[in-house]
Amino acid sequence: MYELRICHLYPDILNLYGDRGNIICMTKRMEWRGIKTQVTGISVGDALNYEDYDIFFIGGGQDFEQGVLLEDLAQGKARQITEAIEAEKVFLAICGGYQMLGQYYKTWDGQQCDFIGALDLYTVGEKERMIGNYMYQCGAGDGNLTVVGFENHSGKTYLGQGVRPMGTVLAGYGNNGKDKTEGARYKNVFATYSHGPLLPKNPKLADHILKTALLRRYPDLCLEELDDTFENNAHDYMQHLLHG
Amino acid sequence: MEGELQRGSFRQKAALFLAGGCAIITIMKIRTILSVAACKMSRSILRWLGKGGTNVPGRVALKLYPTLLGELAQGVTTIIVTGTNGKTTTSRMIEKSLADSGIRYFANKSGANMLPGITAEFAMNSSLGGKNKYDVALVECDEAAFKTVSKYVDAKCVVVTNVFRDQLDRYGEVTHTLNSILTGIKNSPNAVVCINADDSLSVSMKDEISNKVVFYGVESEIYKNRVHEVSDAPYCIHCKTEYVYDYVTYGHLGGFRCPNCGYHRPKTEIAVEKVLESTADASTIEIRVGGKHYQATINLPGGYNIYNAIATVAAGHVLGLKDEVVIAALNSFECGFGRMEKFTIENTDIRMILIKNPAGCNQVLNFLSNTTQPALFVVALNDRYADGTDISWIWDVDFEKLNTVEERLTGIWVTGRRADEMAMRFKYTGLPMEKIRVIKDYDQLIEQMILQNAPVYIMPTYTAMLDIREKISKKFGFKEFWE
Repeated sequence: MYELRICHLYPDILNLYGDRGNIICMTKRMEWRGIKTQVTGISVGDALNYEDYDIFFIGGGQDFEQGVLLEDLAQGKARQITEAIEAEKVFLAICGGYQMLGQYYKTWDGQQCDFIGALDLYTVGEKERMIGNYMYQCGAGDGNLTVVGFENHSGKTYLGQGVRPMGTVLAGYGNNGKDKTEGARYKNVFATYSHGPLLPKNPKLADHILKTALLRRYPDLCLEELDDTFENNAHDYMQHLLHG
Repeated sequence: MEGELQRGSFRQKAALFLAGGCAIITIMKIRTILSVAACKMSRSILRWLGKGGTNVPGRVALKLYPTLLGELAQGVTTIIVTGTNGKTTTSRMIEKSLADSGIRYFANKSGANMLPGITAEFAMNSSLGGKNKYDVALVECDEAAFKTVSKYVDAKCVVVTNVFRDQLDRYGEVTHTLNSILTGIKNSPNAVVCINADDSLSVSMKDEISNKVVFYGVESEIYKNRVHEVSDAPYCIHCKTEYVYDYVTYGHLGGFRCPNCGYHRPKTEIAVEKVLESTADASTIEIRVGGKHYQATINLPGGYNIYNAIATVAAGHVLGLKDEVVIAALNSFECGFGRMEKFTIENTDIRMILIKNPAGCNQVLNFLSNTTQPALFVVALNDRYADGTDISWIWDVDFEKLNTVEERLTGIWVTGRRADEMAMRFKYTGLPMEKIRVIKDYDQLIEQMILQNAPVYIMPTYTAMLDIREKISKKFGFKEFWE
């Protein structure tokens, strides 16, 4: 019997609009294939041992609660997360969670807030928000998948040498609205601004991420195809809308 | 000669001065008259064309006279209802209380609750010279627009229903909404403010304002069986420690207290002490107003309407209305359009319940999962600006709850611009696929609904509600929404 262990980091704080849709999606897509999923929420004050999990999920949050979070990360979780990433664990990090894996966040009036520093990237806050449906294309390593989503961020993220973008922007802003990059890829980290339910309407990306995690534990596993008519309809509608 | 000349010039100067003064006054008056007239005319034209015309006339007037509202609102006793959820229903309840108290009032009933819509409503109820025909204005005000509207209106009473996370693309974070309301109240120094004591976010405003505050709330649990939902405010707004609750009514509302800094739910002046009965059509509650106790029946179901009712009682108390009149109004008011509004078409009962954010939508599901009749369930999801362009929130709603009443759902249908995404959401709840149907065409949807042998609950987002309502009105001759 196969099993997938998901660690949902800070589910009670990093839960901005619809992020739990990704957890629901992963769980169901495993269930439909007869694979058991175990989701563990790890929040402020809880101990984290990265070896207990196959996938780590970090969502986006509100600025208001960021203080609570940074304090808790400094109590050992930041180190665990960095080690997990270096040990090639699979991460899906969205919006605020994505920024948090980087070096720091600088507000528009110059205040700097240090983050986990697991990824070579940083974010600079701007007054104007980048909001709307958007679309990007993943690199060849990720099957050139076209991903549709919704972005809503005021931080502009810039990638360093050590990471590559998750995709190239086809419509919308992406990391910073300038260099056409979107998100970040490093080892098995998938990080993106596509907040909310990224995985349900990008079923191929969902399976790609699940497969990456499962193959590490079960090298012979073959994921069977699912009927993705509903998922593809939702995906194609947005793709069509963005292409005009 | 010289003297005469001087006198002449003095007279000329005086005449010029007077004429100039009059001209300025006249120009100001002309501006008022022009903008009010433009507003009235454009609405007449729009109505004649069969359109609602709730926003455009106000925009026209504001173009001509940006601060028109300030002039029109002078001398009118104004009540403002704001907050994330429940504004419209609370306004309708207060409206009925005003009407039954014999007060001459007007209200922005059509739901146009931003600066243009509110300005238009004042203009429509004013003479061309800008003098209002009524003594009292009841204004439902968008929480983000409140900070602007409050610059022009000196409210006597402000009712804050609650603060929840709403459409992020429009309102930003929940603390952003809270700050906007706070600014609005600071702009209204003469208002008595009615605040929901169960909402830790709203209550935090108390220390930052000098207004008289009346706290209202619910003193015990409402639902035995609640949906699973994410709290919008789990951590103390002052010290960021997790709150402890004596009881939860829904969402983050309830008897909160912070174990670290001691911030807690304040004592209420007006409260629901007990929910005696709640059915699919109504709730009966026991309430306390100051030292007096009453029993009240609300002619709308759902726990969120219990909150709307108690907010109304608080407003009535502030306005000096008779408690008995307000309580009777709770059982006889006409609900706002799309808020549990009922249409009966060819023996099929269709109820329309507006949804706009997870908290509100979860409350509708709480209500639906406590009813016992078979029903057809329809969600109409649009993503226009007024709906919120980001529909991610449907994943925060506990639609999974419908699995507990699955056997009596005759169908789960979806429509609207983002019907495909809604259908997919339902797929992931684990509800039977054969019950999920996508019907994008409204005519076909309505035809099919009527053929069902079960009551229909439509949950539309704002613009989907307007569209479906218009279709039903045109097809079956119901009232248009502005009537």
